Amino acid sequence: MKSSDTRFEILIGRVLRTGVVTSIVCLAIGLPLSLAGPTPGAGVRLLNIGILFLIATPAARVVLSTIEYILERDWPFAVLTSIVLIELIIGAVAALVFHRKI
Amino acid sequence: MPAVTPTLALIIFAAGAVAGSTGALLGLGGGIFLVPFLNLGLGFPIAMAAAISLTTVIATSSSVTAGKAGMNLMNFRLGMLLEVATAAGSVLGGITAQFVAQTTLQRLFAFVTAAVALITIARSKQRNVITDPGVDPGRLGGRLFDVETGATVVYRIKRLPLAVVVSFIAGNVSSLLGIGGGFMKVPVLNAWCGMPLRAAAATSAFMIGVTATGGAIIYYGNGQLQPVAAASAILGVQAGSWLGLRASPNIPVRVLKLLLAAVLGSISVLMLTRGG
Repeated sequence: MKSSDTRFEILIGRVLRTGVVTSIVCLAIGLPLSLAGPTPGAGVRLLNIGILFLIATPAARVVLSTIEYILERDWPFAVLTSIVLIELIIGAVAALVFHRKI
Repeated sequence: MPAVTPTLALIIFAAGAVAGSTGALLGLGGGIFLVPFLNLGLGFPIAMAAAISLTTVIATSSSVTAGKAGMNLMNFRLGMLLEVATAAGSVLGGITAQFVAQTTLQRLFAFVTAAVALITIARSKQRNVITDPGVDPGRLGGRLFDVETGATVVYRIKRLPLAVVVSFIAGNVSSLLGIGGGFMKVPVLNAWCGMPLRAAAATSAFMIGVTATGGAIIYYGNGQLQPVAAASAILGVQAGSWLGLRASPNIPVRVLKLLLAAVLGSISVLMLTRGG
């Protein structure tokens, strides 16, 4: 593995940790607010933000990996990671389609 | 579906903690324990239990990957390739889950739980290492520092199509049942595809984050993710796995395996008999 691999791995690690920590902070604050606070609505909104952050974290990691492979001119793997991203986007679109039907 | 009162939130938090610590001790995600508790114990429909559990899997996977990144155990290239299959599987599974009956999912859960019990107990530790560090690992293989011999070793990937197919199936199962799916990938990667156990486990740990995201997106968009319950579970699992990792060195492996067999066996039986 090249040294550039390790640099990116460390960056990915940082992004993941930031995503998880941000998410957990939102959840930890939002949870008591939504259960017992004066404005439960605000608490629930915070929870939803936390959950969105959580779901976005692995997706962000895939985006970073795609960029890494493009920068390294590793086209086969750039294509592969892009496909993963497209699959997740298809999932999001399918989810929105479901949502409209309700 | 029960209304999430503060008491219920606390119960879910505690359940998450148990799931997280047991998962950390036994090397599994917490989903296997959390979903039956939410479904059979608290009355959540399987889809909602799965949705909650998948978010905990994302949290666990992301924190584990963040902790181990740069440690050279994770095979990102192989993982990315397999993620193409596993993400497809998880999106497909999430959509399929909307149309499959409760009881069918519960029976599937019972079957999978029994399989996990067998696989974990019968786990063979194939070494799969090539001791000459000068050997080319190929596009998808890797080099790592083997603590046991104190030398740098190489491994090559074999039977890639098998890994791809298993990843696809694992993705489906993950979304349908709300579990990580690592229990399928790790033994296959280790026993049949040429990866050393620790590398397989580390690679699977980061892959299941993407897998769980695929399913979670579908459930979330479909309004099946209860935010208060999910938040309680996520925080519980994080707390539990933190505790579990600390306790882990103090408990003999034999005890852990027996505990696992007992718990999974009970879950399997419960899912078959009390489901529906």
